[in-house]
Amino acid sequence: MTGRRLSAFIDALVAGRRPGSYRADEEDAEILRAAITLRAARPGDAKPDDQFVADLYQRLADEAGPDQAPVADIRPIRLPRGRAALVSVAAGLVLVGGTAAVTEALSSTSLSPAAVQAPHGNVVRTGTFETADGRVMGQIVAYRGNPSWVFMNVGGSNYEGTITCKLQVDNGTTVAVGAFDLRGGTGEFSRNIQVDIGKLRGAKLVNSAGVIVASATFA
Amino acid sequence: MVDTDAYADWESVYRDNVDRLYRLMYARVGNRPDAEDLTSEVFRTALGPLRMASSKGEVRSYLLTTSRTVLASHWRRTLGHPVTSIDPEADAAYLAEPSGSDQPSDAPQRAGKILDALPDRYRRILELRFLEACSIKEAAHAMDVSVSNAKVLQHRALRMAAQVTLELGQ
Repeated sequence: MTGRRLSAFIDALVAGRRPGSYRADEEDAEILRAAITLRAARPGDAKPDDQFVADLYQRLADEAGPDQAPVADIRPIRLPRGRAALVSVAAGLVLVGGTAAVTEALSSTSLSPAAVQAPHGNVVRTGTFETADGRVMGQIVAYRGNPSWVFMNVGGSNYEGTITCKLQVDNGTTVAVGAFDLRGGTGEFSRNIQVDIGKLRGAKLVNSAGVIVASATFA
Repeated sequence: MVDTDAYADWESVYRDNVDRLYRLMYARVGNRPDAEDLTSEVFRTALGPLRMASSKGEVRSYLLTTSRTVLASHWRRTLGHPVTSIDPEADAAYLAEPSGSDQPSDAPQRAGKILDALPDRYRRILELRFLEACSIKEAAHAMDVSVSNAKVLQHRALRMAAQVTLELGQ
């Protein structure tokens, strides 16, 4: 038995830290098996952290990429560099909807900067954030699911600091989704939403002074 | 027509199983950082080759099989011994319906069986440490013994708990 390393492993377990590695023997393994069974019974940690679930989802969406869409539906895509990240997300979402409609919509080289076409059934809706003078500042993706959520990224902005995203609904109401920080003019934000995404009209990014920094229109 | 026994997409697979898969991993490693890493590894390994035409049961079975491999690799890397394992058949209930964050865990029952089989002082030191999150110093104080005695008590209690675990087949 390797007493000191075993004790350190158990101390880490009790404290909720990641235990270190070492070469355990059979007796250690039996003791650790019992320790893990006891530790797993403590209330609290058995439920995954919401942030972990959201972050892993985002990583999987980023990794899914366009090659996960049905092969027969994929067409060559040529996009401005600034949209590559969004296409990666949107293409992952294409699979969600079981259709390549977004991919097809984005395959057009005469893409409008204002918005791209929504796929069948409004499973995914996208829009492009533009400043008042017409500069593209970022993208927004809204996804209908359980729960529904929005993801947005901002780049190429001169703005530094906290920015609030507000969604505009087709009945004229505005819903604040949340705030996030822009650093070096860039930032990302995602949040579950309770709004029917089929009723979304647009989105605005508002600075701390209440001034609209950019707005987007959903197709 | 939508087949309700199949997942529409990888996102549905993820949403439906991430909570339960994490709980299974947590029950097998006993700490959040490793449970999160292993849950991530399972999804990153499994989702690529996943066939969406498969039934939900087949997808869950595939996730469990992947989980078994991922957990075995984890123990091989960290301790060189298969401390805990996943049996895709015996552990199928972890990924079975109903889903949701309020899914009951059998961990308290498993721990209760072990603790019930121990002498009072052994049971108390393990309750203080593992269930009540006491440091060894706090546990020693609660039991009115020195820190050194508390360490010895804990070690002996764990050895007996390991024996009970073996006898219970857990």
